[in-house]
Amino acid sequence: MRHVVFVLVTALVAPVCAETPGVLAVRNARIFTASGPAMERGTVVVRDGLIEAVGANVPVPADAWVIEGAGLTVYPGFTNALSAWGIPRQADTAPPGRRPVAAPLGPVARGPEDRPLNTSWVTAQELVQPGDPSIERARSGGFTSAVVFPGAGIFAGQGAWMNLAGEKAGHMVVASPLGQHLTLRTSGFTSFPGSLMGVFAYIRQVYLDADYYKASREIYAKEPRGMKRVDYDRALEGVLAAPRVLLPAVTKVELERMVRFGAELKRPVVLYGGHDAARAMEAVKASGFPVLVNLQWPERPRQADPAQEDSLRTLELREAAPAAPAALAKAGVKFAFYTGGLEKPQEIRAAAKKAVDAGLSREEAVRALTLSVAEIYGVADRAGSIEPGKIANLTIVDGDWFQERAKVRAVIVDGVKYEPAAEAEKKEEPAK
Amino acid sequence: MKKLSMAVAGIAMAFGAAMAQDTILIRNAHIHTGAGQEIPGGFVLIQKGKIAGVGAKLAAPKGAAIIDAKGMHLYPGMIDSATAIGLTEIGAVRETNDTNELGEFNPQLRALIAVNPESEHIDVTRANGITSVMTLPAGGIISGQGSLIHLDGWTWEEMSLAPNVTIRLNFPVIAPISAGPGNRSSSGYEDARKRYEEQLDRLRLFLEEARRYEKAKRAGTTAMQSDPKFEAMLPVLTGKTPLFVFAAKERAILDVIQFARREKLKIILAGVREPGKALAEIVKDKIPVILPETHSLPLEEDDAYDSQYTLPAELHQAGVKFAFGSFDTQFSRNLPYQAAAAVAFGLPKDVALKAVTSNAAEIWGLGSQLGTIEEGKLADLILTDGDPLEARTQIRQMFIAGKPVSLESRHTRLYEKYSKRPQ
Repeated sequence: MRHVVFVLVTALVAPVCAETPGVLAVRNARIFTASGPAMERGTVVVRDGLIEAVGANVPVPADAWVIEGAGLTVYPGFTNALSAWGIPRQADTAPPGRRPVAAPLGPVARGPEDRPLNTSWVTAQELVQPGDPSIERARSGGFTSAVVFPGAGIFAGQGAWMNLAGEKAGHMVVASPLGQHLTLRTSGFTSFPGSLMGVFAYIRQVYLDADYYKASREIYAKEPRGMKRVDYDRALEGVLAAPRVLLPAVTKVELERMVRFGAELKRPVVLYGGHDAARAMEAVKASGFPVLVNLQWPERPRQADPAQEDSLRTLELREAAPAAPAALAKAGVKFAFYTGGLEKPQEIRAAAKKAVDAGLSREEAVRALTLSVAEIYGVADRAGSIEPGKIANLTIVDGDWFQERAKVRAVIVDGVKYEPAAEAEKKEEPAK
Repeated sequence: MKKLSMAVAGIAMAFGAAMAQDTILIRNAHIHTGAGQEIPGGFVLIQKGKIAGVGAKLAAPKGAAIIDAKGMHLYPGMIDSATAIGLTEIGAVRETNDTNELGEFNPQLRALIAVNPESEHIDVTRANGITSVMTLPAGGIISGQGSLIHLDGWTWEEMSLAPNVTIRLNFPVIAPISAGPGNRSSSGYEDARKRYEEQLDRLRLFLEEARRYEKAKRAGTTAMQSDPKFEAMLPVLTGKTPLFVFAAKERAILDVIQFARREKLKIILAGVREPGKALAEIVKDKIPVILPETHSLPLEEDDAYDSQYTLPAELHQAGVKFAFGSFDTQFSRNLPYQAAAAVAFGLPKDVALKAVTSNAAEIWGLGSQLGTIEEGKLADLILTDGDPLEARTQIRQMFIAGKPVSLESRHTRLYEKYSKRPQ
């Protein structure tokens, strides 16, 4: 029954939050621009969904709705670098970053030619439902956008930068496609690929096939006459359409392996997971691949068997993980944060704080949630920082976001202000 | 390899000569009685299947077949304390598997009557010096009665040594899927615990019903119908027949021991691999243990590499009585090497030998009939060219209940056949 109450409350609160001012200004606030140094006292002006001006001495336009910024901090809109937010949860859409072993999708595959677990052509915007409760929840936590990826399969599909507000999924898309999301899902020996080795062979084969396919199509396009046409393969089309590949790698062995494997693919690579990055730093740094760090730090599962003793390897990874971002920053490796399985705003903030406590500066942490995400995905020309002309995504926090007591006052998505559904959040706690 | 074929030929001859004899005298053998005595150049007299005499010099009775065992060693035949020999032939061929029965509680089922005397595994196992095995049914919560059988006989009746010395209980365990690095979805601990508790409740209920049956029977209730399941449980309830309970790790072992105390049942612990603090309780209750394969990996990734190799020595130091079981069918033949591996990691040699001979016999309640070379015991003997725990040692001749048995097997037949293959 508690769940029902929660849903009702959300439904009542959500629509009230949205206002639609054309011009909006936050005056005299502390501003983290991400692109430059923080301003202790400044003003941000937003007009028609874009940032018009930012600075210490920017005049507030006469037609602006004004938010008095004393005590507030304005950040560029927080962006989850890899998520399934907005995609209604089905049995098969585990949050990215996990490595599930699942039943095969569809008929039994005999080899790579059957393209098992491959939905590379699926785009996030096809799956996102603007009314999905995860979107409202993310905004309450200060997130204005997310790079959303379909989560099922080895070639899970293509990601899009979505702003977390809008009537239709199409309005929410800032950039797409941004990459192909790969997981190392095995079919548990009921179907190809049954083993991890099989998965790697399969991925390798698909990329070889894709390059061959592309070359054949090009030759055919030049002179179709007298040539047998090449069959259309949507799985390869999807692989070719993606401008980069996201590869999972959490532990040292996995990171080093993916660095080698990623180089083979001859495409821009982004690693995700990253918990053991400090110990694999040499390889990661040399590769030049950016790393998406999962903010869901490894912990002993709440449901763990009390008699089970964790191995030294597991304990070491738990210990090392929150320090990975600081190590990446120190080594000069580009990295960003994603929330993994974390959902509650408080959990996400606490996880980011852990990275800060482990040596990451607040500026770097904010960057990993904003401008670095945009840079990694190549959309820094329109999002990720508070600069004139960029999309007006802002996160406005009462105080410092990393402090437990700080409250998200509002988020501005595409120039529209949303206030967090505080009531809903409180009701949710006892239900869990 | 010539040596092997000669050995085989030699055995065939001896086998033919002694075949029909009731009385056999083995002389000039280095006798290892298994009861703490060694007799170099000793004599053993076999009469009517039993050992009629052991000594430095014995006179040959009239008509006795004489086997001169100069340069050879005589040991008691070995006993595998956990296998399914005779019940299963090829795991992957369904028709050849007869270990499991439907239903959760089947104490009335006897492994013995399902034993196939034609099993190839019998010959193969014998070839390494194993003369008898404890063959056990599987499946359900109470699988059925384990039977100690001789590895020789035309029928299962002839193979029988002790048809119902134990009843196998698969004590419920909490077995959640454990987490690994990168696999956090793990757990299912709560589900596993729930399943465990449900099974435990059913087991308790079954025992409770068996007790009521016992009471009613003692009171002479006339309206009572005989129930084979409860009948089979009677010797268990009175503590006459021990339960054979598999428990590998500390929690499961403690659980089983507490259960046995509560229900006042006699148990034999099987498959013990990581007793931890439960060791003290095993010692306290003097529970015999059947140890699994020594040469196995540690259960936890941070355990010492030799944690399984040293376990037998640790149990011995703690004063636990144990025997080895192969817990296998086609590899039952590796039983001696199981004991040998423990010797390499600190178990005294004589204790290792006992763990595959006299300790096993005593645990199964046949200490007065099996396990050592002593007068009055069954003549289960092996003649070897060395220590039977050594992998290089050949078993030259075997007697089961005084009868010389063939050491030929599928392996030797194939060896013979392919030795003759033209180059």
